[in-house]
Amino acid sequence: METSFALTGKGYVIIAADTTAARSIVKMKVDEDKIKELSSHLLMSYSGEPGDTIQFAEYVERNIRLYQIRNLYPLRPAAAAAWIRRSLAESLRSRHPYSVNLLLGGYDIADHKPNLYWIDYLGTVVELPFAAHGYGSYFALSLLDRYHNPEASLEEGLATLKRCIEEVAKRLIVSPDRFKVKVVDKDGTREVEL
Amino acid sequence: MSVMEYNGGSVIAMVGKDCVAIASDLRLGNQALGITSNFQRVFPVTNRLYIGLPGLGTDVTTLRERFRYRVNMYTIKEERDIQPETFAHLVSSTLYEHRFGPYFIEPVIAGLSKAPSGGFKPFIAATDLIGCLNFAKDFVVAGTASAKLFGVAEGLWEPDLEPEDLFETISQTLLNAVDRDAFSGWGAVVHVITKDQVVTRTLKGRMD
Amino acid sequence: MARRYDSRTTIFSPEVEYAMEAISHAGTVLGVLAKDGVVLAAEKRVTGKLLDLSSAKDGGGYGGSGEKMFLLNSNVIGGVAGITSDANSLVNYARTVAQRHLLQFNEDIPVELLAQRLCDMKQGYTQYGGLRPFGVSLLYAGYDPHYRFQLYHSDPSGNYSGWKATCIGANNGTAQSLLKQEYKDDIGVEEAIGLVLRVMSKTMDSTTLGSEKLEFAVLTYDEVAKEPKAKIYKPADIDALLKAQGLAKDEDTEMKS
Repeated sequence: METSFALTGKGYVIIAADTTAARSIVKMKVDEDKIKELSSHLLMSYSGEPGDTIQFAEYVERNIRLYQIRNLYPLRPAAAAAWIRRSLAESLRSRHPYSVNLLLGGYDIADHKPNLYWIDYLGTVVELPFAAHGYGSYFALSLLDRYHNPEASLEEGLATLKRCIEEVAKRLIVSPDRFKVKVVDKDGTREVEL
Repeated sequence: MSVMEYNGGSVIAMVGKDCVAIASDLRLGNQALGITSNFQRVFPVTNRLYIGLPGLGTDVTTLRERFRYRVNMYTIKEERDIQPETFAHLVSSTLYEHRFGPYFIEPVIAGLSKAPSGGFKPFIAATDLIGCLNFAKDFVVAGTASAKLFGVAEGLWEPDLEPEDLFETISQTLLNAVDRDAFSGWGAVVHVITKDQVVTRTLKGRMD
Repeated sequence: MARRYDSRTTIFSPEVEYAMEAISHAGTVLGVLAKDGVVLAAEKRVTGKLLDLSSAKDGGGYGGSGEKMFLLNSNVIGGVAGITSDANSLVNYARTVAQRHLLQFNEDIPVELLAQRLCDMKQGYTQYGGLRPFGVSLLYAGYDPHYRFQLYHSDPSGNYSGWKATCIGANNGTAQSLLKQEYKDDIGVEEAIGLVLRVMSKTMDSTTLGSEKLEFAVLTYDEVAKEPKAKIYKPADIDALLKAQGLAKDEDTEMKS
């Protein structure tokens, strides 16, 4: 089942998403990248209705890029979150709403702070120290309540993330076997191996 | 399950002597799963006017942004603050515009309105999700714990409470009502509005 | 990026030239960028003794008299020179654009983006047939987290540029050469206030400065509230400021003349 996690630490945000692409009960692909790099300091993981996810993620990606081309600087994470939220909220009351859940992680180069936004398909947005979507959230959130430390180093943050992934692997019936992990900090976005 | 209960949350407003108070819990959940214990759903409109927006989370943000837009345009053109009565009708008509596809929010408004004499008069109001206004003289409630809030408020509220006593009354009412509601709670925020200042306090609540 | 190249040499259509000419006779507006703020001052033209100014006497809700200085958004003050009715229309447009940005992105509009949006409209009126251009130049004094304090100027053609100190309206040449001599790169807002008032007193036709002829505004950053603070001075504040700067009119000389 689709699962994504994200957590903040001292000057960074980690986002992890499983890599399976499934159609009904069949695994179609096991190396799908569901985390987009929207700008130099902004990551977005997406999950939900197949088709909607990629359509919407690319729509967001291109619009964020357009803003950066027009203005020479990218949208700040908070502004990007507000814009993406509005797109989903408007879509919700249209003839065919996108059903896409997102985690938006960014590092704000204007005030030097990491930001993490939990966004669901309704357009609900909340800024959080850690967040999760999918069935994994039922296991991971309580675990993060216990182990998350906003002052943790990247190594400690990745160790906490590993706990989440192991817990899901242990307890969820249909658990994803691989996760892609990306980090954003003052130096920008990058992929890391667990 | 009803859309109105999807994210949970409750708001209450009370009238005191030359003051009003508005309070809300801080939970936002996905049905039974708690997402955050710091979700603000009460927002300042002017220095003496607040609005609480219990209901569907996405619409809390949408309406907050919409009202801010309308009020800013009003303020910058009129060069004066909007009055609570005027704002209540703005809220009502905005909601009724969506009569057949509504925002799932039941707003609560609390503020002090300028009297012709120069003084200030307490004002509270609430509407349903399509903007039917209810002007009350004592208290108004809304959200997933509204039934419980009615009960406790009925027992605790009395007329002409001073700001500090009003704070105690509204806080006890809210905290005790949300403890009996699965979808509200996880801390609370209280604003007491007097003519000179607004005192905002964040309260701890049961975390279960 | 601010258009640096074509602010002087381009030849515009006669209509735009007329608009520019009209502005060079309008009341002066002067702006100075400091490291911790932006200062604007403007000269009000006294229209006549019979003009009823009672509604503007103590300044509107934002201060000023609503003639030359406008709060465009919580982070931008605009100073206008040119045709008043055109200016009012542009100010209204700017406020709408800024609020739409707030609605869409939940942040104050970046200053340059606001200037760009107004210039897009101004440019349109120089191109499409049957319309006359806006006879207005504006100074924008603003703050945003990307480039902090900024000062922009836009003219009727839709050109805009960023400045450390600049001036539009009557005698702008004199003012600009004074500014060029006296401006220092690390100027603070208090010094900038002094500089602006000194230059204004030399540029304006009248010998003495007073709140009936001067509008004044300062944009700073409120470190406690963590947001920009726009202050458009009320007439009484202006007189107090002039007195403090030693530029207030001397009552004895006024009596003698």
